[in-house]
Amino acid sequence: MKYYPLTAAQNMHWQWIREYGTQQVSGVSIVASMKAPMDFELLKKCILEEYGRYECMRLRFTKPDRNGVIKQYISKEIPEDIRLADLTGEGTLSGADAVMQQWAYQTFDGDNVPMCEIRMVELPEGYRGMFVHMDHRLVDSSALGVMVSDIFRLYMHYQFGSAKPAEPASFAKVLERDLARASEPRRLEKDRRFWSEHFDTYGEPLYSDIQGKSVLEEARKRHNDPDLRAADIERKELFVTVKDYYLEPKPTKRLLNFCTENNISMTNLILFVMRTYLSKVNDGQEDITIENFISRRSTHDEWSSGGSRTIMFPCRTIIRPETEFLEALYLIQQSQNQIYMHGNYDPAFIREEEKRRYGTPDDTGYVSCYLTYQPMMTYNTSEKLKNIPMHINWFANGAATKKMYLTVSPNEKGEMKFSFHYQTVKLDEHDIELMYYYMMRILFMGIEDSHITVGEMLGRA
Amino acid sequence: METKFKEILAQYTTLSADEITESTRFRDDMALSSLDFMTLLGEVEDEFDIEFEESDAVGIFTVGDALALIGRKTGNE
Repeated sequence: MKYYPLTAAQNMHWQWIREYGTQQVSGVSIVASMKAPMDFELLKKCILEEYGRYECMRLRFTKPDRNGVIKQYISKEIPEDIRLADLTGEGTLSGADAVMQQWAYQTFDGDNVPMCEIRMVELPEGYRGMFVHMDHRLVDSSALGVMVSDIFRLYMHYQFGSAKPAEPASFAKVLERDLARASEPRRLEKDRRFWSEHFDTYGEPLYSDIQGKSVLEEARKRHNDPDLRAADIERKELFVTVKDYYLEPKPTKRLLNFCTENNISMTNLILFVMRTYLSKVNDGQEDITIENFISRRSTHDEWSSGGSRTIMFPCRTIIRPETEFLEALYLIQQSQNQIYMHGNYDPAFIREEEKRRYGTPDDTGYVSCYLTYQPMMTYNTSEKLKNIPMHINWFANGAATKKMYLTVSPNEKGEMKFSFHYQTVKLDEHDIELMYYYMMRILFMGIEDSHITVGEMLGRA
Repeated sequence: METKFKEILAQYTTLSADEITESTRFRDDMALSSLDFMTLLGEVEDEFDIEFEESDAVGIFTVGDALALIGRKTGNE
């Protein structure tokens, strides 16, 4: 058996598990089903075959050593059976989703144990498919989507004779390459220098909160430090809930067109809107940091090998009120492109550097909001499935390490989905409603007049 | 240099190394996102033992632009 250290992306999840004391923070779950008859014996065969093809499904982790370090290995074991759960008695899809939501809260406990569980499900309203529950160290959401799609393609191959999907790239091979690249001394030094110069130039970041300045003020009182620039992170009450909003197809098209015409990525547009909202509710604060997740998945092998490649870097921008909307977008784009060039760096080193330089107290940080922009993922790639209704739902793991985590993704209806995951101990639905409302105001103010300044936007929003 | 660069590029796109020409555009023809493009630059740095400035990425639209830049950096213009 070959043992490997964790990658930076995997280690991020492992450190959260350690800090928060539960594997629940690292759970990821999805149901993927279609409104069609299904041969469950055949689906089972495809799922078991996928365990052989997609190596990361068999990843396991060793017992932590005295320093809390674990290693990973690819077990040869494939489950003997895949259970079928009949949820038709729940009456509706939403009733069945409520049951599966409870499954998503379950944890994978213990060392050297499987971290992937798949159940075939028979759902109300004629839907059939599978529920997948995994640890995020095995897959990020892109890899999970690729896996589900691969299983359905195998099913179509055996059932209808369509072409067999190509063999995925070896997870072990890509992992070995990633680990080698991450430890290459010259690259490490280049990345370290970049972040060091960043802090030399901009100094200590300043916390901003969706609930305004009072959060930082409270932290300053609690730590008896009137100059503190970081605020406390919730470590105990992790329960999270989700509020989704859907921007209609027509305005979504306007956003996409604006991005294409101005050579701006949707991620950077949303980062601008989030940071401007934070500036608004923090008395016009110019120095704002948001953590942005990026999926380091560019080559064919990186796309098809699975694994967890998503990692977050701080997107810090200091934008003056006289800056025009488009100019501000390009500033963010420039800053993000610089970070992308150093995307192999382990963000844990950035946090270590912050702590070393500024002596931030334990359990404090500079960030309240996190963003993931997910380009559209298609699960239904077969012509035969084209007109078959699908029911796909991602379940929250129920334990958030972040105060507010926004996932934005276009969907097949042409809408843009804004999915807010928030810690209920700190925030309620009203906070989220306000944020979404003002984000949309800021967004369309800029789209309609790209010469409007940030100061004017703050005044009008 | 050109052959090696095209081999690297082929890992990022559905085009084969043979189909990639100097006029191939990174965004329009290869559908590279800005993250893909910056990741590619990092890989090129490691492969050719060169270092790009962030400003080098501005104005690189085609494979030919990139080859000229790599040529300048490696001294193989």
